[in-house]
Amino acid sequence: MLNVYFGDMAEAIYNTSAYFKYNYEREWITEPKIMEMIKDIDKSVVLGNGAIDSPVLGVIAPTSLSGGVKTLILIDKISDKVFNASNCGDNCAKWLLNIGEEKDVTINLRHIMKFPSEDFKIKIINENKIVSNMKELIPIAGRYV
Amino acid sequence: MLGKHHIIVQSAHLKYELDVRRNITIIKGDSATGKTTLADMIREYVLNGMDTGISLSCDVPCRIIEGNTWKEQLMAINQSIVFIDEGNSFVSSKDFANAVRESTNYFVIITRENLHALPYSVKEIYGIRSSGKYNQSTPVYHELYSIYGTISDEEITPDVIIVEDSNAGYDFFKYVSSLNTECISAKGKDNIFNMITSGKYSGNVLIIADGAAFGAQMANLYDLSENNDELNLYLPESFEWIILDSDILNDAELRRILQSPEDYIASEKYFSWERYFTALLINKSNDTYLKYSKHSLNNNYYNDKIIMKIIASLPANIIFKNNL
Repeated sequence: MLNVYFGDMAEAIYNTSAYFKYNYEREWITEPKIMEMIKDIDKSVVLGNGAIDSPVLGVIAPTSLSGGVKTLILIDKISDKVFNASNCGDNCAKWLLNIGEEKDVTINLRHIMKFPSEDFKIKIINENKIVSNMKELIPIAGRYV
Repeated sequence: MLGKHHIIVQSAHLKYELDVRRNITIIKGDSATGKTTLADMIREYVLNGMDTGISLSCDVPCRIIEGNTWKEQLMAINQSIVFIDEGNSFVSSKDFANAVRESTNYFVIITRENLHALPYSVKEIYGIRSSGKYNQSTPVYHELYSIYGTISDEEITPDVIIVEDSNAGYDFFKYVSSLNTECISAKGKDNIFNMITSGKYSGNVLIIADGAAFGAQMANLYDLSENNDELNLYLPESFEWIILDSDILNDAELRRILQSPEDYIASEKYFSWERYFTALLINKSNDTYLKYSKHSLNNNYYNDKIIMKIIASLPANIIFKNNL
């Protein structure tokens, strides 16, 4: 399940781009799910574990992916850390839910992200409550961000 | 610093064009829209200038601050536009808010966080949209769009009006509310969200707050309103701006100021525009029968002609007592 802590969280890694730069593994980039994320969000095609073809920037290194994709990759691949998912735009929300369907994962949000579906399952850690749509999520999350 | 500043940042393949008109501008929105690339290009240009092949056109310097040494970096920057990329946690700190207050710089902050220590305008929260593709003959063009720019023109007949203000603004809206409308002061903008989600108020609810400093509260309330058709927002610059804009003072200089406030509001003097409009109204009305005090509304404002003139300047789709 996707577990979310809203608001300041001292132990969360805030600058996810900096963390990604020094900690990502090259082989992550060519995994099918990661390639799909990169295609969906950055509209970019993975050419190999060190090269990605971006429609805006040309051929780039993984460190030049969008902040949102880099954060998603960290959340998916490193389960013993909590990352600041406010570096992800709303277009990353479905991927967070997707990761949360596959495993128990905890993220930190410092804004209200718009999750897409009406029947998701997100646990808001601040109040130990599970919400299943934005109508339930916003009144709780808004107290903390 | 005063005025609106037009910025063009361009490389062989990318072009950004934006206007910055207040001390605080926020850029947020979806991932992969080019926010960090904009900051990267400015950083490169600041570090290496024309050697990068990047051109940067603006009538004032553009700078970047970042990381744990932001205070030291900022100390050396004046009369500039300061960009701050995502990933800099200091933007939500009180220390940073204190640095922005009385600064001669304008700040462009890339973040999705609601920065409660900063009084920024709902009008200065932008996303980036782009057109074109890499390798075409023209660079991929990026421009800003206002995230909360569209105002609904649907008719609003409020059952409840929640006013941010507890003084003159509240007095006014209580007076002009229809008999069946409950008008409540939120006693501060930070209380509005909890009032709305408390479940105490039913029917059509209209929130009236000072848009000039409501940026940090906007995202949550906007999200709430998107999920609730009976929740509406009216966010003028401030109550004092409404009075100034209604032209009851019949002052030609005021009309000029309201056409381009950015040419008159110095960032180092006014943390946000609503403070300027309050000072302006107090100053302009001082020797008149409409002498303004923020604490309570002067009785002369309740004159029918004055009230009608102010109401006439409000959005026509909001139904108050006197324009039924």
